[in-house]
Amino acid sequence: MKSRALRPLGLAAGIATAAIVLAGCSTGGGEQSDPNAPVTLTIATFNDFGYTDALLQEYMDENPNVKIVHNKASTSNDARANYFQKLGKTGLADIEAIEVDWLPEVMQYSDMLAPVPTDLTDRWLDWKVKAATDADGNLIGYGTDIGPEAVCYRSDLFQAAGLPTDRAEVGKLFDGDWANYFKVGDQYVAATGKAFYDSAGGTYQGMINQVEAAYENPSDGKITATTNPEVKDIYDQVTKASATQSAHYSQWSDDWYAGLSNGDFATMLCPGWMLGVISGSAKDVTGWDIAPMFPNGGGNWGGSYLTVPANGKNVEAAQKLADWLTDPATQVKAFENAGTFPSQNEALSDSTLLDSTNEYFNNAPVGQIFSERAKAVTVTPFKGEFYFQVNDAMQKALTRVEDGTQDAKTSWDQWVSEVEAIK
Amino acid sequence: MTTLQNPPVAAEEALLEPGRKPVRRRRPVRGSRPGWFVYAALGVVLLSAAFPFYWSLLIGSGDSYTIRDPNMSWIPGGNFIANAAKVINDPAVNFWPALWNSIFSSALIAASVVFFSTLAGWAFAKLKFRGSSWLLVFVIATMAVPTQLGVVPLYLLFSEIGWTGQIGAIIIPALVSAFGVFWMTQYIRQAVPDELIEAARVDGASSFRTFLTVGVPAARPAAAMLALFTFVTAWNNFFWPFIVLDRQNPTLPVALSLLQSNYFVDYSIVLAGVLLSTIPLLVLFVFAGKQLVSGIMQGAVKG
Amino acid sequence: MTVRSPKRIGFGGKSFSSWDLKLSPYLYISPFFILFLIVGLFPIAYTAYISFQDWDLVRGTGTFVGFDQYATVINDPKFWTALRNSFSIFLLSTVPQLILAVFIAVLLDQNIRAKTFWRMGVLLPYVMAPVAVALIFSNMFGDQYGLVNTTLQSLGIPAIKWHSDAFASHIAIATMVNFRWTGYNTLILLAAMQAIPRDFYEAATVDGAGKVRQFFSITLPSLKPTLIFVIITSTIGGLQIFDEPRMYDQTGTGGADNQWLTITLWLYDLGWGQWNFGRAAALAWILFLIILAIGAINLFVTRGLVRDEGKKSDMSRAQMRAARRAAKEAVEASRAAASQKTEVLR
Repeated sequence: MKSRALRPLGLAAGIATAAIVLAGCSTGGGEQSDPNAPVTLTIATFNDFGYTDALLQEYMDENPNVKIVHNKASTSNDARANYFQKLGKTGLADIEAIEVDWLPEVMQYSDMLAPVPTDLTDRWLDWKVKAATDADGNLIGYGTDIGPEAVCYRSDLFQAAGLPTDRAEVGKLFDGDWANYFKVGDQYVAATGKAFYDSAGGTYQGMINQVEAAYENPSDGKITATTNPEVKDIYDQVTKASATQSAHYSQWSDDWYAGLSNGDFATMLCPGWMLGVISGSAKDVTGWDIAPMFPNGGGNWGGSYLTVPANGKNVEAAQKLADWLTDPATQVKAFENAGTFPSQNEALSDSTLLDSTNEYFNNAPVGQIFSERAKAVTVTPFKGEFYFQVNDAMQKALTRVEDGTQDAKTSWDQWVSEVEAIK
Repeated sequence: MTTLQNPPVAAEEALLEPGRKPVRRRRPVRGSRPGWFVYAALGVVLLSAAFPFYWSLLIGSGDSYTIRDPNMSWIPGGNFIANAAKVINDPAVNFWPALWNSIFSSALIAASVVFFSTLAGWAFAKLKFRGSSWLLVFVIATMAVPTQLGVVPLYLLFSEIGWTGQIGAIIIPALVSAFGVFWMTQYIRQAVPDELIEAARVDGASSFRTFLTVGVPAARPAAAMLALFTFVTAWNNFFWPFIVLDRQNPTLPVALSLLQSNYFVDYSIVLAGVLLSTIPLLVLFVFAGKQLVSGIMQGAVKG
Repeated sequence: MTVRSPKRIGFGGKSFSSWDLKLSPYLYISPFFILFLIVGLFPIAYTAYISFQDWDLVRGTGTFVGFDQYATVINDPKFWTALRNSFSIFLLSTVPQLILAVFIAVLLDQNIRAKTFWRMGVLLPYVMAPVAVALIFSNMFGDQYGLVNTTLQSLGIPAIKWHSDAFASHIAIATMVNFRWTGYNTLILLAAMQAIPRDFYEAATVDGAGKVRQFFSITLPSLKPTLIFVIITSTIGGLQIFDEPRMYDQTGTGGADNQWLTITLWLYDLGWGQWNFGRAAALAWILFLIILAIGAINLFVTRGLVRDEGKKSDMSRAQMRAARRAAKEAVEASRAAASQKTEVLR
């Protein structure tokens, strides 16, 4: 009995000692001054950037002294928690991917990131560069992909409603401002009695991203959302139209996924990366197509950058790798791997890109469509440190109206009081 | 209950005395098997407990579309083995190192928690010492502080001592548990008769020997359950291992989460991975369940 | 076995055993406390420290603001909504869960066949990985096409707005919580029930007490320490419910009108969403105080409701006589057998 009780104790002690010994062997990493000295670079991404092992191997072949270790996080939320937990301390990779949604927060710590060499800045679309340039004029991220938006539509449902079905014609139909889009929606609803688009929140997001300074004053960062007439105007437009035209779904909910197949809505604002979601979730539907147009100009949803933490051990080598990874030619290869749409000017006119089509969407020339959509984006919305709090509150306000929990006016009032309480 | 003067006696020896009815029974009273109602009720409970597993199996044995299929069949498809193979062979998922890390760390944590909790629980329950009630209340009170923010100081601590990326970083914070101490205290209070302790004391056993001969055997069922619960909690823990470990040296939940890293997630593979990671736990179930034996201390006092 | 007298070692006149008894308790608890100090108390102290600051996670610095964060939290209407939600979900989950756990534990305590299978089966929900739980329950409780609503509608009952009606969302989340934790509490109670000597029940059966009577007179009082444990841990856990509300919809922010925003969920959003760790820490400590208060109340209620074992027993005098009789027989038997054994050994 005595030995029985002591055996697990002894085992535990032995294992603990082993663990401590193992832990003592921490990874070293010295300063590197010789560019040809062997170096191991870690790169951390999430979702799928299209950086396959084969692609990274190309770089390693060209630079035999470099070994690349690729870490992936599963979701961008996890990656975000990880990023800010470790920024300015130890633990980040030599190259860390960030998402455009994190930029308002990243910008507050732009001094902790190594700036992109100025000779590279005209590689990317100017709205892509502007979003990641801090107050001192430093570009702190190497742009990777973007999410230029077009309008995905169900040609079979359009036919039933007496609307045109040919891609180019639908494009002409949507050529105009949002009032025009909603007018088409009214037509559709009158003809079929079904919803025109998936969610008020999703549509609102497309609209608000076209406003230069929606929620905050760019010069002093103060919140102006509640008094900005543009915001109220967009809110009113969306809530009015959504009463009849919205399927009232929360994007990414189970019901929304079901709606992709069962025709509960006929159109959706969709960026390039959404195509895989639709084709995977609505396998048996043949009617999805893409209209080469976006109401009121251009829209962008999503996109990423590569950042190089300034306190890393191999900043120069990391910058060299980031440069290569975001080179137009490499980005096109990534696009072929994962559908991540390039943000580099040259890449947008690359023939491989422009020739690509998507079979599910009726063989739409996606490369061409999204390339043009990318060029149509003119506005870089200003997003300061309170942007996401205000925007999240607005999304909730819209959901309350969609759910029928509150009417549009009450919901707006509650939003105003929530925003005024932000400090 | 009268005071015991002698240590427990085996049933056979009690039979030596002719005419004496043996009072320590190993078999239950005849006719005490429960009726159909018990089995029916338990059947309902088990069905509802197992249903989500069955549902996961349905999806895990299908393909990427199965989860969105409004007419999903209630019979498992044929892809489970293929999906499981995809999970194991996925290059981003370091399956075997992750599996080993999870088993190793969870087992160590479970052993440690049970050991320290039983020791401390014994002291709080059966030994009288100054401040014992206040210390126990203090320990319980610490459970009331939410742990969502705990990652921040823990990470600071472990990056100071340079242990980030090491498996020790997920073992050390979990070595002791207030929950475990509280449970063993309450269980030992209830399950260990004071008479046995006095008997052992009178026989000249030191405090530790009493603990080993009386406390440890009596606490076995609770210790087994605590070990199981601690193992499962450590096994399924995601956030802290995600923050502090390398992608090259992960635990199983962190490794499997990589299967969800795409805009379009193939849930058949994800759920196949989930089911795979549950299998070791089910094995543990059987071992722990066998420790839930009734009457461990039963004969000790009466016969 | 011969009876030995206590060993004597020279420690200022005190016997070894009394030194052993006075000092050893501290040795038993010190390993726990030493480790706990480093990995358990340090994070707690840190959380307290930053609750008085406007804390910047990245730069690791903060400006001292006194009780400002606490005041902001309490004055925020979200706090009161979250408190309401936490309490509602806590009550909806804990009460049915514990009643069910006791009931199932009693069933499992019976002499059933294939014990391990049934007993461990109830723990299956506890080991389900969160991603699977999230998937299945969002599938079940979808407002339009969820399993529950389609079943209700096929029965002619109108669909329930699981994600817009606050109370409905609480019920759904409580169901998720109960699903996960009932088996867990069942096994805790079962382990404790197994330690109750069977002879008590036999004596009571002999005297004609029914199963229900036995439950209230024997089982419950004997379980008192464990019941206290289960109720306190359920209180603490119930007021801290986090995973289930977070998994309830895809945004994890507690609903468009904060219908199911619990305190811990808001805490997480303050800390890891808005990066306002100081405010999150303040909220954590406010929750701590609330839990202490409710825990204390629950403790007193439990102590009052459940009779101590061996004190005011509900057993009839006949039952007590029978128990005494059985006990006396047992002790005599053991004494006789023991003396016989020593005879044999001599």
